[in-house]
Amino acid sequence: MSRAWTAFAVAVILAGVLIALTPYVWILMTSFKTRLDALADTPVWLFTPTFEHYPDVFLEKNYLPLVWNSVLVATLSTALSLALGVPAAYVFARHEFPAKEDLFFFFLTTRMAPPISVVVPMFLLFTTFRITDTPLAVILAHSTFNLSLVVWMMRGFFAEIPREIDEAAMMDGHSRAGMFVRILVPLAAPGLAATAVLCFILSWNEFLYAFVLVAFEGRTLTVGIPGLITPHGTLWGQVAAVAVVATLPIILFSLLVQRHLVRGLTFGAVKG
Amino acid sequence: MPMRRILGGLLDRGVAPLLLIPSVVLLVFILVGPFFYMVWTSFTDLSFALPDRTGSFLGLDNYRRLMRDDPIFWGSFRLTLKFVIAVVSIEFVLGFALALLLFHFIEHRRLVLTALMVPMMLAPVAVGLIWKLLLQGDFGMVSYYLREVGLLDLRSALLSNAGAVMPTVVAIDVWQWTPFVTLVMLAGLMSLPREPTEAAIMDGASALQRFRDVTLPLLRPIIALVLLLRGIDAFKEFDKVFILTGGGPGTATELLSIYTYRVNFKSWDLGYGSTCAFMVYLVVLILCAVFYKAVYWSEGRPTGARAGAP
Repeated sequence: MSRAWTAFAVAVILAGVLIALTPYVWILMTSFKTRLDALADTPVWLFTPTFEHYPDVFLEKNYLPLVWNSVLVATLSTALSLALGVPAAYVFARHEFPAKEDLFFFFLTTRMAPPISVVVPMFLLFTTFRITDTPLAVILAHSTFNLSLVVWMMRGFFAEIPREIDEAAMMDGHSRAGMFVRILVPLAAPGLAATAVLCFILSWNEFLYAFVLVAFEGRTLTVGIPGLITPHGTLWGQVAAVAVVATLPIILFSLLVQRHLVRGLTFGAVKG
Repeated sequence: MPMRRILGGLLDRGVAPLLLIPSVVLLVFILVGPFFYMVWTSFTDLSFALPDRTGSFLGLDNYRRLMRDDPIFWGSFRLTLKFVIAVVSIEFVLGFALALLLFHFIEHRRLVLTALMVPMMLAPVAVGLIWKLLLQGDFGMVSYYLREVGLLDLRSALLSNAGAVMPTVVAIDVWQWTPFVTLVMLAGLMSLPREPTEAAIMDGASALQRFRDVTLPLLRPIIALVLLLRGIDAFKEFDKVFILTGGGPGTATELLSIYTYRVNFKSWDLGYGSTCAFMVYLVVLILCAVFYKAVYWSEGRPTGARAGAP
């Protein structure tokens, strides 16, 4: 009975892994297929690879600046969210003040706000300030969800550091600021790194804000994707190449934060 | 360093909460401000398509239109609810089942979890793109094998068939997010104390009884969490459907966010579009409050404050 169950479990899990991975493997393969192989009536699993799609789309179709925009937006949005959010998280973890939990709830609502609702007035507002179609617009927009992610995650990481450490550091003559910068932040460094990587991923993957707020110069990689699909004659090799560049770095990044992933995606409620 | 001196000054004088001001100011500028602007716009006739509609106050006209004269909005609302219920329940059952199998039968799960993580780390736009390729009628890989096993007739493409498109979109969302449920439920299972289960074994409870009477009640907070998080996320779904179908064929997959997008950025009817956007916001705010109450507050105490603590 038990052995049969184990065999059943292994079979189901293997099927799950296969279903999870095959579509991605397919897009990876398509990015190296000739047009003939990609459009074959019968799926082609073995083929002679071609490397033309990557230079074609990134150099000749000039998609390379989009990669740069994505890096710029994700990096600066992460930096901004950390710079503002880490001190805020520390205050939530260590200090008492009126309406503290209400304010914390406010941060949660910003994290959950539906982009389609926010982006309409944001578009009007940013048009008034003349910052649409710049990376700044997207960086600010992405801080709506990243800032509260930082506050929520880092509050948990700071709370895990025993208060006795604060007291010991103060006894050693550190000022509160010195204690925060030299003792607490380094102690929370693994959590900080995980939070930063998650912010980067969320910003890199985001589509709707970027799609509405930038049309030409500031386009990120995700925004460049729909334009590649045309009703007739979509160049699937190039589409696949863009999809791979837009996703592979993120998959590798997520391996770095695997341990903290569940925690990050559940607002700190579940420790992975 | 002036930054350090300011920081130290704030912390030492016991006015540390002032450190929250920069975050709050930023959020007021990019979120709270726009929110109230949206509420204001929802009472006006602002449109970028018609030059004579520059945003004069209409009173409740837009809301009357929404309530009485916009069957498409309510059709879209019902469609969205069906979508949310379908994806959340399927993802929960599959994801939880997978988590249980992993928990009970597999000892070295790290590699499996890494593989399962792939779909949920992909940008939703890329997921839409990948499945659009796989489901092409004439050369899509998945279409081909579905035809081979007789699940798809020769000419039909799933994404342009009004009857099949919604289940297809649901299946793609299930593909992407079931692993999330698995990861969270597995973390939940691993965090459970062993004693209650052991006591139940001593009492001679069967595996099924142990699951129903011990494991499930202990997991209730995490189940609530995962259902609400997935529910809120599914309610906001935009990217994948936008790429896969754009809401079509016809309005077969026009979820609320897609409809709201269309009113605002295709018809440029920003006054009425803001009304729709506000409705979407309201629903999410309500779900969010339920989430907070269910997950972070128990017995009148914020458990969120302790969520990170050992």
